[in-house]
Amino acid sequence: MITLSGLTKRYGGTTAVADLSLKIEPGLVTGFLGPNGAGKSTTMRMIMGLDEPTAGTALVSGRRYAEFRHPLREVGALLEAESVHPGRGARNHLLAMARSNGIPRRRVDEVLAKVGLTDVAGKRAGAYSLGMSQRLGIAGALLGDPPVLMFDEPVNGLDPDGVRWVRELMRSLAAGGRTVFVSSHLMSEMELTADRLVVIGKGRLIADAPIAEILAGSSRHRVKVRGPHPEGLRQLAGHLTRQGVTAEMVSPRELLLSGTTVEPVGELAHRLGLLLHELSPQEATLEQAYMELTAGSVEFAASQEETR
Amino acid sequence: MTVTTEGRPRGAATDAAGAASGGRLPGAVAAEWTKAWTVRSTWWNLLGAAVLMGLACLQLAIFTVNANENDDPADDKGVVGAGTIAIGAVDLVQFVLIGLAMLLITSEYSTGTIRATLQWIPRRGEVLAAKTLVVAVIGGLAGIVLAAAGSLAALPLLGHWGEFEFPAWLGDVLAVGVYMSVIGVFSLGVGALLRSAVGTLIVIFLIVLVVPASLQASGITAMERVADFLPAVAGAAFMRGESDAYPPVLGLLILAAWAAAALAAGHVALNRRDA
Repeated sequence: MITLSGLTKRYGGTTAVADLSLKIEPGLVTGFLGPNGAGKSTTMRMIMGLDEPTAGTALVSGRRYAEFRHPLREVGALLEAESVHPGRGARNHLLAMARSNGIPRRRVDEVLAKVGLTDVAGKRAGAYSLGMSQRLGIAGALLGDPPVLMFDEPVNGLDPDGVRWVRELMRSLAAGGRTVFVSSHLMSEMELTADRLVVIGKGRLIADAPIAEILAGSSRHRVKVRGPHPEGLRQLAGHLTRQGVTAEMVSPRELLLSGTTVEPVGELAHRLGLLLHELSPQEATLEQAYMELTAGSVEFAASQEETR
Repeated sequence: MTVTTEGRPRGAATDAAGAASGGRLPGAVAAEWTKAWTVRSTWWNLLGAAVLMGLACLQLAIFTVNANENDDPADDKGVVGAGTIAIGAVDLVQFVLIGLAMLLITSEYSTGTIRATLQWIPRRGEVLAAKTLVVAVIGGLAGIVLAAAGSLAALPLLGHWGEFEFPAWLGDVLAVGVYMSVIGVFSLGVGALLRSAVGTLIVIFLIVLVVPASLQASGITAMERVADFLPAVAGAAFMRGESDAYPPVLGLLILAAWAAAALAAGHVALNRRDA
């Protein structure tokens, strides 16, 4: 469980995180989304005690990070893949890490095997690919077998196999009752991985809800109509527009409608004697829902740019 | 690749096999010790210091013999203790060990490792305390071993101009160890304050070498007195056991005060800054 209350971080005149209050519950994968510069990394760094909040608190299992005697056994985090000395190998890095928190040495080999780095554990980290560095970071997060885990962009640089592995890892960690808090830019990935989403923009909370709720709340539920007769489709669109439906001719043979459902469209097409090849509901994707949610904060940024 | 679900949602803290030991300062020291020996720079620095100590001691021995045997009686050094040769070599060798000490913190900033370190050990005072201990031990042991080896290597070259009295030699060798240990801690403190290796090295060069040399060369008594209170001059007074300005023990105290001040400044900076 991660609890943020009134968490705020200001750098000089700019506010990176503004009065953020939320609870990240155990047993779920909570996705953390927001445009670049929304304050995701800053928030995670404050949870880890790396950045001092200007106001408010970030607690893990009810305590400040620095209060833990063995913090790595309480919270595991992958923040930046490049926080490993390039001259040190994965095994030695993890060994120093384990010693700092009194973690038994065998855990080092266990996590190396788990992330698939056993064969290169002796090589200098500077020679690792981005994907290998990411795996080393994940190994570090798992080292203390902690009940709370945070990952900042964990699938960066991973191949499709690796992406799927990370997804399954997150799911299994949450299934084991752990708190899993993951930021990512990949919406499709989040859609597959997360149970719940926290969306921030300009450092402010935009949404904090189960993923299904965020998808259902999107106005981008649409109806797709496809047929061989462009003239008939135009006629259909004309009728629907008069009823207040928004119709868009995507191509001469395809229509996208919003503000309606398949049933009335099907009935109308039947009355018009129009031949259709497809009439289907189009679910909003997470990406669309996300774009709608963050449009406000992105527009705000753009207009602010203009007034300078 | 397969994913296996690890059992308990609670952490290893409650894992019987991983009984709650370590952590805190002992854990921090163990981690810093491991880190110090798992980068090549530590080994290269020690090798460099050993080579430099050997060469400097041989050179100083030859100089001593020449000075005694040339026609100019003004530069006669007479019979010298083996240990004093090693003390003379410190002027040069210290910079390699200063590099070693300083890299233990500045390389963490240049590579981003500091963020990892502060995740492992979030109480920043403990990080600095652990690094201080590691630097003090490595600097001290390296100083003792190098001074012992260097002075013994110089002895045959000194011939009848050199003498080996065990208590005096041991005192000299231990003094070099103490000096290297404290100047290393001083460098660590400056490194924690400045973070950049280049900046740290410049500042240390100025304080240890350039400023005292120019003050002493000024010929103005007041300025020479100021130089006496700089760390390397005070350290030399302590090691040589002679100074016009103060007793040797005060030299050590002045040196230690510099190290303590640098550490305190480094600690404040480390605590205040976001990593």
